[in-house]
Amino acid sequence: MSEDFNDNKTIQAQSSETISGGGGSGLSPDKDYVRPAEISEQDLYHGHSFITKWVFCQDAKVIGVQYFLLATFTGIIGLILSWLMRLQLGFPELAGFMTAEHYYQFVTMHGMIMVVYFLTALFLGGFGNFLIPLMVGARDMVFPYLNMVSFWMFFVAVGVLLASFFVPGGPTGSGWTLYPPQAILEGTPGSGYGIMLMCISLILFVAGFTMGGLNYLITVLQARTRGMTLMRMPLTVWGIFTATVLAMLAFPALLVGALMMSLDNVLGTSFFMPTILKAGEVLEYGGGSPILFQHLFWFFGHPEVYIVALPAFGIISDLISVHARKNIFGYRMMVWAIVGIGALSFFVWAHHMYVSGMNPWFGFFFATTTLIIAVPTAMKVYNWILTLWRGNIRLNTVMLWCLGFIVTFVNGGITGIFLGNVSVDVPLSDTYFVIAHFHMVMGIAPLMVIMGAVYHWFPLVSGRLLDEKLGKWHFWLTFLGAYSIYFPMHYLGFIGVPRRYFEMYDSPYMTSAVGMNEFISIAAFIVGAAQLILMYNIIKTLKVGKPAGHNPWKACSLEWLTPSVPPEHGNWGDKLPIVHRWAYDFSVPGAKEDFITQTTPPSEVANTEVEKT
Amino acid sequence: MSDPKIEGYVLKPGFRGMAEDTGSDQTMFKGVHWGKAMMWIFLLSDTFIFSCFLISYMKGRGSTLIDWPNASEVFGLHVFGVEVPLLLIAIMTFVLITSSGTMALAVKYGYEKNRKMCGWLILATAIGGLTFVGMQAFEWSKLIHEGVRPWENPFGAPQFGSFFFMITGFHGTHVSIGVIFLFIYAYKTFKGHYDEGKRGWFTSMKGDYVEIEILGLYWHFVDLVWVFIFAFFYLW
Amino acid sequence: MHAGIIFFLVILGSVLFHIFTPWYWTDVASNWGGMDDTITLTFWIGGGVFIAVCLFMVYCVFKFSYKEDRKAEYKPEDKKLERILTWATTLGVAALLAPGLIIWNQYVNVPKNAIEIDVMAWQWGWQYRLPGEDGKLGTTKVVNINDDNPFGINLDDPYGNDDVMIQSDVINLENNRPVKILLRSVDVLHNWYVPQFRAKMDAVPGIVTYYWFEPNKVGEFEVLCAEYCGVGHYAMRGGVEVQDKQDYDNWLQQQETFSDLIAKQEILETSKTKLAKK
Repeated sequence: MSEDFNDNKTIQAQSSETISGGGGSGLSPDKDYVRPAEISEQDLYHGHSFITKWVFCQDAKVIGVQYFLLATFTGIIGLILSWLMRLQLGFPELAGFMTAEHYYQFVTMHGMIMVVYFLTALFLGGFGNFLIPLMVGARDMVFPYLNMVSFWMFFVAVGVLLASFFVPGGPTGSGWTLYPPQAILEGTPGSGYGIMLMCISLILFVAGFTMGGLNYLITVLQARTRGMTLMRMPLTVWGIFTATVLAMLAFPALLVGALMMSLDNVLGTSFFMPTILKAGEVLEYGGGSPILFQHLFWFFGHPEVYIVALPAFGIISDLISVHARKNIFGYRMMVWAIVGIGALSFFVWAHHMYVSGMNPWFGFFFATTTLIIAVPTAMKVYNWILTLWRGNIRLNTVMLWCLGFIVTFVNGGITGIFLGNVSVDVPLSDTYFVIAHFHMVMGIAPLMVIMGAVYHWFPLVSGRLLDEKLGKWHFWLTFLGAYSIYFPMHYLGFIGVPRRYFEMYDSPYMTSAVGMNEFISIAAFIVGAAQLILMYNIIKTLKVGKPAGHNPWKACSLEWLTPSVPPEHGNWGDKLPIVHRWAYDFSVPGAKEDFITQTTPPSEVANTEVEKT
Repeated sequence: MSDPKIEGYVLKPGFRGMAEDTGSDQTMFKGVHWGKAMMWIFLLSDTFIFSCFLISYMKGRGSTLIDWPNASEVFGLHVFGVEVPLLLIAIMTFVLITSSGTMALAVKYGYEKNRKMCGWLILATAIGGLTFVGMQAFEWSKLIHEGVRPWENPFGAPQFGSFFFMITGFHGTHVSIGVIFLFIYAYKTFKGHYDEGKRGWFTSMKGDYVEIEILGLYWHFVDLVWVFIFAFFYLW
Repeated sequence: MHAGIIFFLVILGSVLFHIFTPWYWTDVASNWGGMDDTITLTFWIGGGVFIAVCLFMVYCVFKFSYKEDRKAEYKPEDKKLERILTWATTLGVAALLAPGLIIWNQYVNVPKNAIEIDVMAWQWGWQYRLPGEDGKLGTTKVVNINDDNPFGINLDDPYGNDDVMIQSDVINLENNRPVKILLRSVDVLHNWYVPQFRAKMDAVPGIVTYYWFEPNKVGEFEVLCAEYCGVGHYAMRGGVEVQDKQDYDNWLQQQETFSDLIAKQEILETSKTKLAKK
């Protein structure tokens, strides 16, 4: 404590010096004063061998990159599975090796991998770990050891998940929603070992995530640097923070559901299993409720959508603001929208179950709550485009991803209004319209954010800027390709083509759509292959990329203000930064440059018209 | 405990103080140890797990077609020729609640740096927990002996067995984990790790008596959950 | 600059695709035209917002792209604008929600004169049962199901005897008469879905779910399973034939009742035993 105390004295002395030097600027000496540190310096474990430095590492930045790489690896597996599915749907004659069992297994694994093991892990584990300590001005996460264990739990969870490809019966093919009774009955592929491993893997994931999540929450709540109030945090942190709160409260339902299903499967309990007749014989189950599982699953499943979406909302706000050189419009509204969406997301889960056979009177309640969520979400969209309005927009690759995000997200958000509105959902549910909707809104839109974030923060990880030209090719192929996959797909849903059909034979609805299926498949292959451009770009940049230097984007937020780029373990060298303003002071009238960093004390920019600090 | 003193910051009581703390920089919960804040949030998450279990239990009990067994008969104990309903469970609950008391005292002595008293009280808590787990094992074996299984139940609905074993098992796991940690902490207390701030084996964090309070939070939570399980299974 | 042009073309392409698409919904063949109307309403309002937002974005890209000498506007908040936008959105959303709820209210309230049809689903097919002259379906139990009693009708239930058993996976319906579909499943989740009728509901093992509609077009329709139910899901088809009253009554005459089936079975049994005796 004594050190911090001294530190504080010097700062006060410095600031009064500046004031006196300013000569009658009318500022009181307190203007630059920031309260002394409450907490003594964090005690960090610095690794010294290869294993403690890069494998079992306790540095949140390394853990973030580890999460990122492993999530990307599983994501690529998910991508390959989607290719195989599209091959079957578009060109069944070329996919002779695929049986219906395979197809449903791929559907299931693709869904689960992309939602949980790719997007959730990447946003919270990857970006959360890397950015939270840097953005709030902490030296590291508050429990580095727990953080490390969190990643390795995730590693084991992924291992168990992938192991299910190699067990008798293969991975589960019950759809990513894992609905019982079919998930654990013969007639569904992988109903023995496959579903078992899936449940175990999910339980491990939840356990691992809880460890990480506790870290993110406490770091944001209790380990901010001096001057960093909650309302000065970048929206990225707000998004990840709120998403983590959701995850901490929603994952328990998944854990309980997965546990009960494993018991039904292994011990023969009947939590979710009513009396069932299979092949003329009555099974030894009875008295359970399949809909109970759906409630548990969607009580997790809907917040899960926002667990992916909220970090994306936060990150995109920061990217747009930095690259439009303009403060994010309506910061307070943005924060309240994030928190409001998060809170509301716990009251809408049954809109996934309008035609599930639950009491139909629930429909009124859940349709209303669901459409209420549309209001804060729409406000966020307005604020993004109003941030562009009268900005000074750099049309670089990062900004392109942001614009792509706005188009796909608005598109997917509006189809969400169709599906949330109970009677409109009836004809559309379980058709390709649903597939198109959720891929647009929580597949492509978050992917756009991830890509934008990769181009934006890659310099911070590696110290080098990614190639712009390759980046633009990557963007246009991905964006145009993905849009042409999912935009026409809505119309398949209008025709009435049900989802999860292995083959589209003989029905009038299906034969009429054959041309479209082929087109969609080709687009899917192109989009997938386009991701190779990014890999090439990264490899090339690591070798010969342009050095980024300090703060290449001229951003205001703390992560760019570390003494060394890329930041070292402990982030801030000798002294923690002191924050004087929010993260969005771009283009302030009267300032010399078009940005004022968060650490700039008011006395240094005395003649500017800063409205909010 | 008295409010922590924070340089340059005045803590205010009530809602206004809470709002000001939230709006301030650095920390939201002033003077609260990181580990303690973490435990609170973990417990909130754990509350959701137990809530999901108990709500599923209510739903399962409500929708089954076969009658639910009568708790006072199933959990009755035959002592000295008399059928006493809920005897074992009353003792179990008593033991667990008492252990909460000893835990609270251990925390108090810990902050007073009374190493001996603190250590003995943690040990007493651990033994209370162990007794609870032992009695639960006894009850399980009694029920299993009588033919109750997770998948079947001679007294009525099979879901009774499923939910009973799953939920008490999950709670019992919590208690067991707590007991293991209590023993470790008792050892560390007696060895004086908290007095000298010796670094932990795994986390390499400096030891501090606040760890005992954090474990205490967990232990009280486990007791509180038991009260709910008790009410739902034995009194309903 | 070309970024703005391409984004504009994407928006234009989306609109053109919608105008010229050969793929759109089938003609509605039930009373749920209101669902189509709500979709259309949502489509116009939502589509309008989509186009407006995207065009505004494209405009910004053209108008405000980076110039060294220009400084962006500094305006952290505009309370008034935010308030206007919030209320406008709320109004729009309420306008979309209201018709949705009104139609849902019709959907959950089954008219009194609706004829009940028991649709039983299994992996992977459909069976149908109609109430007989007493207008009531006999009660059922899954454990009763066997070859002689495919619906598991309780034999001691008098209402069950005259139930009409359809020996086919195609069910005939009378035009312009509301039907209440009672859905049962013996194994996993299924969903009896005819795209032209718009309505659907899951069949859940252990409980009976329902929905209703009133067919208003004579013709044959295909039944698809709309809830994933295992490897045979995609091939789980059935049929519906909507007929005028005359044809429908003729068809109904030809169907066998539960007691007919039992009687036939008994004759078969007795002749078998007689044969065995000989």
